[in-house]
Amino acid sequence: MYKILVMFMVFTVSSVSAMEKSGGHGHGSHNDESHQHSADESVNGSDTAFPEKMFSEFTSDLANVQIVIVDVNGMVCDFCARGIEKVLYTDDAVKKVGVSLELGKVLIAYAPSTKVDFEEIKNIFLSNGQNATGYIIKKI
Amino acid sequence: MSDLYVESIRLNVNIPYMGIYKNLIFATMLFMLSDLAQSRPVSWAGGSTIMYRTNSMMSSYTFHYSPTYKYSIGAEYVNDRYFNNHFINLRSTYLLDRHNTKISQRNIYLTGGISTKTNQDFSYGIHGDWETRRLFSSFSLINKHTKEKDYTENEFQLGVAPYLGKYDDIHTWVMLKAKKNTINNNWEIYPFIKLFQGDFLIEVGSKNSHWDVHFIIRY
Repeated sequence: MYKILVMFMVFTVSSVSAMEKSGGHGHGSHNDESHQHSADESVNGSDTAFPEKMFSEFTSDLANVQIVIVDVNGMVCDFCARGIEKVLYTDDAVKKVGVSLELGKVLIAYAPSTKVDFEEIKNIFLSNGQNATGYIIKKI
Repeated sequence: MSDLYVESIRLNVNIPYMGIYKNLIFATMLFMLSDLAQSRPVSWAGGSTIMYRTNSMMSSYTFHYSPTYKYSIGAEYVNDRYFNNHFINLRSTYLLDRHNTKISQRNIYLTGGISTKTNQDFSYGIHGDWETRRLFSSFSLINKHTKEKDYTENEFQLGVAPYLGKYDDIHTWVMLKAKKNTINNNWEIYPFIKLFQGDFLIEVGSKNSHWDVHFIIRY
C-alpha cells in the first residue's frame, strides 16, 4: 500500500507539473484582448483578459468606480482565498471584491479618486500567502 | 486548501502498566484520537481559527491565531473521555517555504507543541502539502515524546475534488489518509470527506465503525 501511495503522489505531481508547463487552466494563453485595452484601461503584467460576461456580472451593481483585476498565484482554494477578501474590505476605498478561483483573478472595485498602488496590493495578497503578479485597471 | 493540514492531537495519558496490552491500547488510542485533516495551520495575517472535533474517545476545542501568514500559535483544550482527563496543548506552526503557481500551491511547515499536563510531553515535526483545485496531497512526520513512550507518526493524504466549485459555492473533497506510527508499524488507511463553504469547514470520517467529526471556523 505504501508503494501505491508513493506512486500515486509521484503521478499527480508529475501530471500537474506538466499542466503547469503547458499552461493548464488556460493560463499562458496570452489572450490578445489583454493587450487591446481601450483608453480607460491600463495593463501591467496581466497575462489574460477577464471574460466580459463575468466582468458585467461583477459590475452590475456598480457605477463610477475603477476596477482592478489582479492576477494571483497560489489561490487554489476557496477557504484560503477568504483572507484576501477580508483584508481588502478593511480599506474604505474598496467598494466590492470578487474572486474567480477558476481564472486565478481577484476583482477590486475602488472609488474613482483612489490612487491604485500595485505594490500595496501585492503586500495585501502576500499577507494572505498568495502572490499578485499583474493587473488591469478598468474604469466604469 | 485544500487546504488540508494534519495537526497532531497529542495523547497525554498516564497508562498504568498492563504488560503486552499497554502498547496495543496505546496504539489504538493514538489512532482513535488521531486527527482528520485540518485546514491550513496558518491563515492570513491577523486571522483566527476555531476548531472543534469529536469522536468516540475524546473531544477538543482549538483556537489558533496567525500574526502573519508565516506562523501561528494556538491552544487546544482536550476532554479525554476514555481516561476522564482534561488538559491543554500549546502549539505553534511555522511556514518554512511556500511556492505558488497559477494553478498550484506547495507548502512546507515546521510544527511543534507542548502539553500543560506534564513537562515531558512535547512534539515536533515537519508537514508538507501540494494542491491544485482538483488534487491534494500531503505528508507529515511528527516525533512525539510522552511520559510513557516516544514515537514517530508518518502520514500521507491524497484527495480529489469531484467537481470544481466557484467562489462561495459548497466545495467537496474526497480524501484518503494513510497513517502509521512506530509503536505498531502498521498502516491504517481510511477515507473521509471534507465540505466547506465561506468561513466554515466540516470533515467527516469513519474509523473502526466510529464517526470522527471536525468543524472549523475562520474569521
